[in-house]
Amino acid sequence: MENWEKLRLEMLEKINAVRNEKEMEQLRVEILGKKGVIQGYMSRMRELSPEERKEFGKSVNELKNSVETYMKTVHAKLKEAALEEAIKREKIDLTLEGVKPYNGSLHPLDLVQQEIEDIFVSMGYSVVTGPEVEINLYNFERANTPAGHPARAMQDTFFIDEDRLMRTQTTAVQMRALEKYHDHLPIKIICPGKVYRRDDDDATHSHQFSQIEGLVVAEHITLGDLKGTLELMCRRMFGEEQTIRFRPSYFPFTEPSVEVDVSCPFCHGKGCNVCKGSGWIEILGAGMVHPKVLSAAGIDPEKYTGFAFGVGVERIAMLRYGVDDIRDFFQNDVRFLSEFNREE
Amino acid sequence: MKVSYNWLKQYVDLEGITPEELGDRLTSSGLEVEGIEKTAYATKLVIGKMLSCEDHPNSDHLHVCKVDTGSGVSQIVCGAPNAAQAVGKKVIVALPGCELPGGTITESVLRGVESAGMICALFELGVDKKSLSESQLHGIEILDDDAPLGETDVLGYLGLDDTVLDVSLTPNRADCLAMWALARQTGAVLNRKVTLPEEYKLENELPATAKIEIETPNCAWFLGKVVNHVKLGPSPEWIRKALQANGVKSINNLVDISNLVMLETGQPLHYYDLKKIQDRDITVKQGLDEVYTALDDVDYKIEPSDIMITNKGRAVGIAGVMGGDDSKIDESTEAILIEAASFDHVCVRNTSLRLNLQTEAAQRFIKMIEPQAGVKAMWRSVELLTKYADASGIEETVVAGNLIDGVKTISLTLDKVNSVLGTNFTMDEIVEPLKRLDFSPVTEGNTVTVTIPSYRYNDISLPEDVIEDIIQVKGYDNIIGTLPQMPQTIGALEPMNKMGRQIKRYLKGCGLHEIYSYSLVGKNQLDLGVMPLGEPIGLMNPLSDERKYYRTSLSASMLENVSYNAARSASDFGLFEIAKVYAEGKEEETRLSIALTGNMVQSEWKKASVPADYYAIKGIVYGVLEELGYNANRLTVKENTECVNVFHPYQSAVLCLDRKPVGILGTVHPKLRKQYDLANTVLCELNLSAVEQAHAAKLRFTAIPKFPATGYDLSMLVRSDVTAEKILSVIKKHGTKLLKESEVFDVYQGTGIAEGVKSVAVRMTFRSDEKTLKDADMKPIVADVIKALRNEISAEIRDR
Repeated sequence: MENWEKLRLEMLEKINAVRNEKEMEQLRVEILGKKGVIQGYMSRMRELSPEERKEFGKSVNELKNSVETYMKTVHAKLKEAALEEAIKREKIDLTLEGVKPYNGSLHPLDLVQQEIEDIFVSMGYSVVTGPEVEINLYNFERANTPAGHPARAMQDTFFIDEDRLMRTQTTAVQMRALEKYHDHLPIKIICPGKVYRRDDDDATHSHQFSQIEGLVVAEHITLGDLKGTLELMCRRMFGEEQTIRFRPSYFPFTEPSVEVDVSCPFCHGKGCNVCKGSGWIEILGAGMVHPKVLSAAGIDPEKYTGFAFGVGVERIAMLRYGVDDIRDFFQNDVRFLSEFNREE
Repeated sequence: MKVSYNWLKQYVDLEGITPEELGDRLTSSGLEVEGIEKTAYATKLVIGKMLSCEDHPNSDHLHVCKVDTGSGVSQIVCGAPNAAQAVGKKVIVALPGCELPGGTITESVLRGVESAGMICALFELGVDKKSLSESQLHGIEILDDDAPLGETDVLGYLGLDDTVLDVSLTPNRADCLAMWALARQTGAVLNRKVTLPEEYKLENELPATAKIEIETPNCAWFLGKVVNHVKLGPSPEWIRKALQANGVKSINNLVDISNLVMLETGQPLHYYDLKKIQDRDITVKQGLDEVYTALDDVDYKIEPSDIMITNKGRAVGIAGVMGGDDSKIDESTEAILIEAASFDHVCVRNTSLRLNLQTEAAQRFIKMIEPQAGVKAMWRSVELLTKYADASGIEETVVAGNLIDGVKTISLTLDKVNSVLGTNFTMDEIVEPLKRLDFSPVTEGNTVTVTIPSYRYNDISLPEDVIEDIIQVKGYDNIIGTLPQMPQTIGALEPMNKMGRQIKRYLKGCGLHEIYSYSLVGKNQLDLGVMPLGEPIGLMNPLSDERKYYRTSLSASMLENVSYNAARSASDFGLFEIAKVYAEGKEEETRLSIALTGNMVQSEWKKASVPADYYAIKGIVYGVLEELGYNANRLTVKENTECVNVFHPYQSAVLCLDRKPVGILGTVHPKLRKQYDLANTVLCELNLSAVEQAHAAKLRFTAIPKFPATGYDLSMLVRSDVTAEKILSVIKKHGTKLLKESEVFDVYQGTGIAEGVKSVAVRMTFRSDEKTLKDADMKPIVADVIKALRNEISAEIRDR
């Protein structure tokens, strides 16, 4: 009779010796396959007596089951090891750059404009725009700056013909709005847009730049309301700790007129090279809408008052981002633009 | 304007107030002080006496001087050409250790000769060169013989211990171009006493002999006065110093007085040499057309619009700008005619600009003088001429035109003040600043009435103007920030504004950079217009030919920006801009311009990039429009036949929305590419105003299909010129309701395929809302489609 136990141990030895799935498969065929060792024993059963056959069959079956079970266990381990191996081989360089979705940039002037628009829209202001090619009426006359007014010399104008010009200020949009809504008061608008002055381009001057002007006309609007509104804007733009101050100024379309300084956001008023040691930075001009401007638009200045202000977008962007040459905004160097790839 | 601190101090009590403090206070009251500068700067000076001057042994221009400094004799090497003339005279000596604007003086050896200091010229002390004469600019200063030897306060002795404030005046405060008005404002701001010269009484005057006529509406009034005897000579020191501090050169007593009185009163004056004015007859008129020699000895072309002062038909002055050469004051002058007049500011401005003569006089007329300036200037002239030019034989003033007193009264209520400012001032609190301003407030109940002095005539006419003065004097710190108490309003962006933001967000997400370019362009850029709006709008007064027209298209600016960056080694990038275009007689349009060049790169090392070709820009533009709510099935392209100088004729298309053209897109023409030195570049210009007009679809939810879809691929050979659009339209027509989508997923032309033929593979997606489709359901449909493809476009269906 066969020594089943010895046979079994020999087979298990063989299984143990298997190094990979391929060898395991070969061994499986060798032992359990149709022409395998086990099958060999099976086929010898016919030659045995029924008694022997029973005993023999049982032994072969036990052998088969034992080997098969063990083979499965080892196979599973091998599989796992193989996977481990494969995973190991999949080690990558973690420091290579990731594949980013595309990301471009918005122009810094646009970033500032949108931010200011959003601040005022959240306070109930509507955005209103107007033509860049304007007429004297809205750019100057309605703004209390008739022909020959000394203030016209303040803004050297590009003229197209006797009547038409490149608007020098978004005040023109306000004048149009006053006319349009004079019988639908109150007015609460901001007017962003490009304006043009006959200035040679240099580090601080540009023949084209952007303004955002604000206008509120209603009953009982005060200079204090202007200050409170601008304080809010400055705090949103430059930080909650900012304060503002008014200095007297002159614009033909406001009375009183003020320049507005914000406490220097860089040194918090201590004095630095940005604010030239003063602790304050001039950021905009403003005032109470001149009674003549209201009457010219058909609004009763005895009943209604209003305030107006105008911000230079370039000025704010230069301060915000530390740009020191206004021409950079119009040069459109991709290296410059790429830096503005997010909103703050 | 320049304001001398020392001169201002003569009028206003500035005790204990430094120039810097004064600057701050003036700035906070509306007179912006832009700079504060000392007239001169030097630390260790002494008045010395030049004992000898010999030529330097080793130099052809240096001198070796011996100078008595009061405490000893110093040897100083001096390079001034006038050094020899100074022997025996008093000079300014900078001792070793002296700090000057140009550096510190040390003991040194110059070409082998020891030098213990420097003999100074005034400009070396930092004195404004404009106030110095030619000889002062080219030599050391030679002092009066009575200058005290050894005096160390040299700047004080010279009257150079002054500080000049540079005040920038807003147009409404041109009154402060007059020193007296500035003094009043300073007094009001500081709440200090102001002492101005008292009005000089003109008594015992002789009957007037001058005749003055005004023949133009642009001269409101003209005051003329004859002074029959004057004595030409130097000005007294105080006048010279006052002028110097204001950057005006001292010439002689007559000219100096006319300049000084202008600075004091704001009234430009002209003194004519009386003997040159025939019959003492002056006529002011316009309409002359001639060449005229002014007192600067330059010939000017006079035009009829210029206001001219004439004598018997002969021009003797360009009114308000400059007097004439042949009637000016000179050594022979013994009698004068004084002119104090008011000329229209617009006329003077035009003349002054055209002739490029920005004189002090013109500046003051342009900014408008006060109604009483002439009267003040006249009595002040007489006063000073009498004192310093032995004037006599003074005649009465001839007044031509309409002279007004220029005094206004304005009433305002306390409520008005507080409601404009948002303050809670009491009547007393507003009366106090009004008194300081010399507005003579008179109160009655809730109302205060003020009398505005003539020098504020041009500025103040409404209660609001007075309110501004009140708060300026009180200080804006009194204003407390509040928010408007008014009916609620709902804020919103304009539709175009909103659409622009949506587009920008989308394009930023596509990796493009937004640009801002100039609206004004030159002719070359106009020639590269894509869908030019029309006849360009040109400027009358452009700064240059490159910025002469408002652009009618954005593409040329865009190409320039691509080119600019390409020239700086940028190779793969995309740009976009949203801006307006204008043209004569056309409504403005808002346009979108996009350019891509090189590749659109996501990752270099992963080779994740898309070439910037026609399909890349088409994809982006379709993406933009879909983002805005215009479904791709409303968009079509057709051949571009119009704009073939900018675009590749076979790789560009007119984009239509609902069959209406809204833009052009495609590859930049190879010729242009070469001209701009560009890599493969594609461009698009889109008319957003037209897009906005089309109705954008609302975003609506469609239920997710219950039954799965089945794909069916069809490969075919067609002629090369059969477009994808054509193939898909045939398929769509015969695909029945079950065909939900069809798209081209492969196009091949080349090896293995005959010339003039291409292989196209299409995927059709079928789906029913009632059941899961089986092959049998689609078979007849596909058969129909195939039949149609064969019949309509001669497609040869390849085996599946």
